[in-house]
Amino acid sequence: MTQAEIKLCSLLLQEHFGEIVEKIGVHLIRTGSQPLRVIAHDTGTSLDQVKKALCVLVQHNLVSYQVHKRGVVEYEAQCSRVLRMLRYPRYIYTTKTLYSDTGELIVEELLLNGKLTMSAVVKKVADRLTETMEDGKTMDYAEVSNTFVRLADTHFVQRCPSVPTTENSDPGPPPPAPTLVINEKDMYLVPKLSLIGKGKRRRSSDEDAAGEPKAKRPKYTTDNKEIFRSLPVGYNISKQVLDQYLTLLADDPLEFVGKSGDSGGGMYVINLHKALASLATATLESVVQERFGSRCARIFRLVLQKKHIEQKQVEDFAMIPAKEAKDMLYKMLSENFMSLQEIPKTPDHAPSRTFYLYTVNILSAARMLLHRCYKSIANLIERRQFETKENKRLLEKSQRVEAIIASMQATGAEEAQLQEIEEMITAPERQQLETLKRNVNKLDASEIQVDETIFLLESYIECTMKRQ
Amino acid sequence: MAEVKVKVQPPDADPVEIENRIIELCHQFPHGITDQVIQNEMPHIEAQQRAVAINRLLSMGQLDLLRSNTGLLYRIKDSQNAGKMKGSDNQEKLVYQIIEDAGNKGIWSRDVRYKSNLPLTEINKILKNLESKKLIKAVKSVAASKKKVYMLYNLQPDRSVTGGAWYSDQDFESEFVEVLNQQCFKFLQSKAETARESKQNPMIQRNSSFASSHEVWKYICELGISKVELSMEDIETILNTLIYDGKVEMTIIAAKEGTVGSVDGHMKLYRAVNPIIPPTGLVRAPCGLCPVFDDCHEGGEISPSNCIYMTEWLEF
Repeated sequence: MTQAEIKLCSLLLQEHFGEIVEKIGVHLIRTGSQPLRVIAHDTGTSLDQVKKALCVLVQHNLVSYQVHKRGVVEYEAQCSRVLRMLRYPRYIYTTKTLYSDTGELIVEELLLNGKLTMSAVVKKVADRLTETMEDGKTMDYAEVSNTFVRLADTHFVQRCPSVPTTENSDPGPPPPAPTLVINEKDMYLVPKLSLIGKGKRRRSSDEDAAGEPKAKRPKYTTDNKEIFRSLPVGYNISKQVLDQYLTLLADDPLEFVGKSGDSGGGMYVINLHKALASLATATLESVVQERFGSRCARIFRLVLQKKHIEQKQVEDFAMIPAKEAKDMLYKMLSENFMSLQEIPKTPDHAPSRTFYLYTVNILSAARMLLHRCYKSIANLIERRQFETKENKRLLEKSQRVEAIIASMQATGAEEAQLQEIEEMITAPERQQLETLKRNVNKLDASEIQVDETIFLLESYIECTMKRQ
Repeated sequence: MAEVKVKVQPPDADPVEIENRIIELCHQFPHGITDQVIQNEMPHIEAQQRAVAINRLLSMGQLDLLRSNTGLLYRIKDSQNAGKMKGSDNQEKLVYQIIEDAGNKGIWSRDVRYKSNLPLTEINKILKNLESKKLIKAVKSVAASKKKVYMLYNLQPDRSVTGGAWYSDQDFESEFVEVLNQQCFKFLQSKAETARESKQNPMIQRNSSFASSHEVWKYICELGISKVELSMEDIETILNTLIYDGKVEMTIIAAKEGTVGSVDGHMKLYRAVNPIIPPTGLVRAPCGLCPVFDDCHEGGEISPSNCIYMTEWLEF
């Protein structure tokens, strides 16, 4: 766990669960798996508090436990799980688009509570929905249950393993009663697919249609007829057109979709690895472009394409004057986007008689960028907290005023009195509040955007590591 | 009885006549004539007279003496050139010939010295002389800017020396390249637009959004923005830069030999494309572009709390 990641985890834990949980959590992340007493001793907190903190963490699937030999139970925190907390808003949003409000509320409840039984979830969600609906109508439990079942089918929601009720109070494995938890791993599989769907949509307007419906199916290869059958009704695409779209997708130089065999009218498969590689490369290129300029981006893409290239050739291919090309190459080299490969002509490696080739190693550049992303999000969160802290007094005042107004409205106060109370907040203060709200929102949105980059890069790195 | 030996004087034994005949012959065979040919033409002239005539013509500068595998060749010298070289001595003629042989690639002064075996001072003097007579010129090579190559005055320097269409006076013409870049891109973009709007079935849409390199070349030639004549390879290098910009993609298809624009049985097609992702999330935050990112930490001089880039960005 790098420093940046640990910092980010600590900020997230603090924001969501408070100081004590943060302390315990960070300690566990730093030191790996530890038994209960050692944690209490090292962090200097009372045993009671440690137990409560661990409870919270386990409930939210951030810490897992294991029984080791001699009956010692050790707790281990998973840093990646903590970092997933950044992605909760995106999960909720995806569920909302796919399963409307009911789904959204279900997922939200589960994320807030870590684990819940199905009946508890259904009850809560139904009650919430009933509140928002018009008077007299109540939310049907069955409907909520249905949505729940659908969520479970598509792996948004997953059941926890249950523990046999043993008399022995030793917290051994396997864990609890039938409660349910958001399966985060699969959770981001579905958003991943729809993200690619969105990516394709942006690629060119004439190639998107067939991409989206196919992406929803988790099978490995799909054939022509199945695609045709599973298209949503409103699309209105004839079979020939669909065929053409599929051929176009398969022929595309980006190679997101591959054709493997002609049985059943053509079997199509998504090349996830290639797709991730292209997306990661595009991310890198976009960062280079924004940081160094479009000429640098040209050089970067050139080196990517040619794999290894000499400085003189860079000038020729990219059609950029020699001095500028040199400058840009060195800048990118110093920022670790590129690396140098030496090929000596003579055994004594004399610099004047060596070839120096520039090359881009996508994996290492992706890792470097990922690290930068973590630090950036940590910075953004810190800034947000700083801004809030700066205006704490103002925020408290406005909250008090709101509370007063609400209570007065409840007791039926007059218009004039309400006006008076409202004027307790002066105009410039109101302005300040507005600015604060806007800033905080902006920082929040920015965190989510950087998280998108993290998602792409992490998926690419994971996929590449698995293949090796 | 005395035998009268009548020496029949051949009618054209007159030296001038001989020279004129030889010159006529040279005109007849502009590539040069051998001694044999002259002998066949005028069999009655003795070898000595022939030699005298030829020597006179050579010294007058009207004939060129060349050596070929079959022997010596005499060629009529271009009268213009003949006038030029009057007043130059043999060394200069030698140097001039060496430079002429170098063609349009030019030759470096050191190479001239090696070929002519003349000392450096002589060479420099001769080169200066020839330059002032406007017979040769010095061209700076774009590869090594200190080197000067010499070539005949009226010759166009070869592309490898001047760098081709992209260099004018050893300066890389970046604006020219930029302009061409944009024009090509606009052309391809508009083609893709029309294809998309035609709303036909997707296969046709995609195929009609392609343009071959030949088409682009014709378009650019017709636009007439280039003073220099551009070849198809030049246009292809420009299109390659567009590929490296990520705006254009290329495919190669097999084409029949006869079709317009095909080279070695295949054609290159280009098409404008959209980028696959918009600017990524990291660069939308100020941290992604921050130059002092590595120095930033909480509690330091540069920290998120007092980051000026963030302040600016938030006010935006």
